[in-house]
Amino acid sequence: MAFNFNWSPLTADADFYKMAQDMLTTALNKSPKPPIIVDDILVNELNLGSVPPELEILEIGDLAEDRFRGIFKMCYSGDAFLTLKTRVQANPLNTYLFSKPSFTSPQPLAASSGLTIPLQITLSEIKLSAFIILVFSRQKGLTLVFRNDPLESLKVSSTFDSIPFVRDYLQKEIEMQLRTLMMDELPAIIHRLSLRLWCPEFRAKEEEEIIQAEKLEKEEVAVDPFASPPQDAVDARGNVLDATEISSLSLDSGSEIHSLFSQKNLLRLAALTDSHRTLSLFTPSIRDAVFRAWASPSESAGTSTPVTPSLMRSTSSLATSSTTYTFNKGSDDGHGNIPSRPSLVSLPSATTGLSLGAGRHSRSHLRKKKNRIVNLRKAKTTDDVSESGDGESETSGVACSEPIMPTRIIEEPEDNIITPPRSPSGRVRFRTSSIDLGDSPRKLRLSTPSRALPLPEQVIVDDEPATTPRPRRPSLKKSTFTTPQPEKEKAIPSLQLSPAPELIPGGIIEQAWVLKMAGELARSRDAKARGGEGFWSSSSEGENEVEAPPAYQAKAQV
Amino acid sequence: MLEFMDYVQHAFYNASHWNIENSYSQLTATARELLEFETPRGLRLNLSSLSSPNFATSYAIGSVGLVDGALSYLYTSLPLHATSQSGDIDLHDVIRGYRQIQELRRQEESWTWEEWQGGKRIDKRDTLFYGRLYLPASHLEALYLRRISPTQQLRMSAVSNSQLRNGGTILALHQYDVGKYSAETLYSTDGGLIGVRGLYNFGPDPRKEIREPPRTEDRFYGRFSAGAEMYYGSLNKSGGVSFGGRFATLPAHKGVPLTATLTLNPLMGNLSTTYAVKAGKNLALCSKFDFNVYSYESDLMLGCELWRMKAKVQRVRERSMAAKLEWRLDEPEKVPIPEPEEVAGVLKARVDQNWKIRLLWEGRVKELLFTLGSSIDMKRSDQPIRAIGLEIQYSS
Repeated sequence: MAFNFNWSPLTADADFYKMAQDMLTTALNKSPKPPIIVDDILVNELNLGSVPPELEILEIGDLAEDRFRGIFKMCYSGDAFLTLKTRVQANPLNTYLFSKPSFTSPQPLAASSGLTIPLQITLSEIKLSAFIILVFSRQKGLTLVFRNDPLESLKVSSTFDSIPFVRDYLQKEIEMQLRTLMMDELPAIIHRLSLRLWCPEFRAKEEEEIIQAEKLEKEEVAVDPFASPPQDAVDARGNVLDATEISSLSLDSGSEIHSLFSQKNLLRLAALTDSHRTLSLFTPSIRDAVFRAWASPSESAGTSTPVTPSLMRSTSSLATSSTTYTFNKGSDDGHGNIPSRPSLVSLPSATTGLSLGAGRHSRSHLRKKKNRIVNLRKAKTTDDVSESGDGESETSGVACSEPIMPTRIIEEPEDNIITPPRSPSGRVRFRTSSIDLGDSPRKLRLSTPSRALPLPEQVIVDDEPATTPRPRRPSLKKSTFTTPQPEKEKAIPSLQLSPAPELIPGGIIEQAWVLKMAGELARSRDAKARGGEGFWSSSSEGENEVEAPPAYQAKAQV
Repeated sequence: MLEFMDYVQHAFYNASHWNIENSYSQLTATARELLEFETPRGLRLNLSSLSSPNFATSYAIGSVGLVDGALSYLYTSLPLHATSQSGDIDLHDVIRGYRQIQELRRQEESWTWEEWQGGKRIDKRDTLFYGRLYLPASHLEALYLRRISPTQQLRMSAVSNSQLRNGGTILALHQYDVGKYSAETLYSTDGGLIGVRGLYNFGPDPRKEIREPPRTEDRFYGRFSAGAEMYYGSLNKSGGVSFGGRFATLPAHKGVPLTATLTLNPLMGNLSTTYAVKAGKNLALCSKFDFNVYSYESDLMLGCELWRMKAKVQRVRERSMAAKLEWRLDEPEKVPIPEPEEVAGVLKARVDQNWKIRLLWEGRVKELLFTLGSSIDMKRSDQPIRAIGLEIQYSS
């Protein structure tokens, strides 16, 4: 059996030095400094030298491919050195007065005036001899603990070498500081370094944390409850609000936001979150809600965590009437059936609003709410069935595209908000071209179900958010199938999420069922693929957190 | 603005004829008031009263982060008859700005203090006790002040706080002032610090009879003072020395009043000069320049103080009825007695070379004295206003 210790790669890596310097600098500046030091302590130079430490293996407790535990005896008398830079206050009277109450201060006139001197300290000829307990595991990284005080001697040379009093003082102080550094800080630093080297998860986690932090800042602004207002929105006095009123509410008026959500649901949600914390077995069921636990990855596609209301919303909108987009509209039916003429008049603006609305799911909540009272339906009531059929055919496109979505979702669950429903927006923009066609698109629409199937990939491929209509799009086919009412397109995400497709009227049922099955299949396939990965990563992470190695919990430096 | 308790202490000094300005530690008082004033932080309320000529109380409540407060009591054996109503206090007494040094007084002879009754001396030395307890912090301050003789004073201050090493510190200060010169010795239990300070005033000796009147027609009629201080920490073997000199014009000076000081710390190579002028009746300007000959570090500070007076309402005299009846004009007024101007407020501002600005606005509203201050750091563009505060005092 042989061990191979490589000293040179560490010393040869310039990147390593930079990183180690940064870490040492932060470690040195962490604890509150005495008043004599008036500036940050900077690690100016660090060199581990060319002479490796001598290691003597005393005991090996555990040995495997990915873990190791042993006790070493280490002797080091190499040529490593370390240069520190800082500024010190040279006037002893100044530092004396620093932390004294002013009431009993002698209040010197000028005797306490400061003199700051830049100080450079070089630590060299470090002699170490220590017993080291080394624990390595691929997942937990490297843990290194000194059994005894490792520092035997070192030479401190500074700017004040000519003054013996100062030199002795510095020597004493620095030796003391270095001892605490070795015993407390160094193990933590090494542990972090090793984690970064060997555990990609840790690195990923770190990066993620940074991203998360950035995101959090953004999200604070981004989560807009008005992006998906509850269907039966009432104000504080229980009066039904309509869409315009809701849109007139602003995020700044905090109290009114709360009144938009029903009290009961909020209580339930609170109970639900509590049950996570308390390990309570009781989880309150929330009506019309799709829980993450039993939602497959594709189902959770459209929403980021806190936006469950949108789920509820979409299902119900399907149930009540597939023609209106906003709930409030759906809820007060009188408004829902606005005569078609006026709505047609408002179309040009409405379309942009719609494309925005469709984009809302994709671009998440950054968009401001627009007034989306759009009813494209032409007066013929007999067409209603076929229309809703069209709506389904619309959704079919999305349903087919499901296999594509989850694959993207898996990699970065945070980003999934962006990916999925791009397709609607892609389609929406064509509506303008078809609007003026009046009845003619309807005929075409009847034929769409069959045609819609092959298309979705195409639609998804074009990723532009496309807030402005672009009539120059080449394929006429698309334009035909994009004609249906915008309201239905709004309902599309809802269909993906809807647990109850049975509600869909007659002729389309077959169609919908086929689509749903296709979606289901794709979803389960993905769930498998994802489940494997997810389990692995999550379990390893969990271990990391649960069993932090002892050295990781470094004491606060005194 | 002086706190009420400091105001009472100054009243004690005045009543016992102690010249607080004749001390080396007050050499740069003008520059300190104009440049190194503290700005209040947060909101602070002071409620004080001089309930009897011998007893004063003060309560303070403030909110910096969390609410804190202070209780203070003061007892003096010397009855004080200073105005204590915040509505009536002369703002010149509580707002310190340009400090005009006065002509040296001749100290009283010690026998003037003697009181005899039945062959026994019955006179007591004037004493002042002062204590202040900061409440959530459990920080106690105590002061004992005693006039030993017309030329001597003993001042002992103590702080008790469990956070401090040894639970607190005591500072004993003995002051000796004969006018021509003054000397102070001090001892602090913290680090066993021993200190000596001295100030010598050049010019005529107030103890001697002044033969000829002062020559105020000179270009500058003023006084030059020089002094030194020395400290030695007997426990931590550290020390400090400084020398200083000051030239300041006296009230009889006919031109613009000015004060110039130079202080020198030979150990640390620090050199500091200040120059202050009272440019107008209501305006004072001050500059300070620090330089260190060892580290070549320098610092420049500029400050000003502006007193704003209330605009006087011109009284329009109407012709009296008697004069009208007699078909004549009113008799011309006699030379009007100049009414003391009322202060509307004082603005203090200072800026240093790092663009750190401090602003202070002090004044009186109704019966309340207020201090509004802010410190601004122009170097930090994201958050230039570092602190803002308001202090309100009411006393009766």
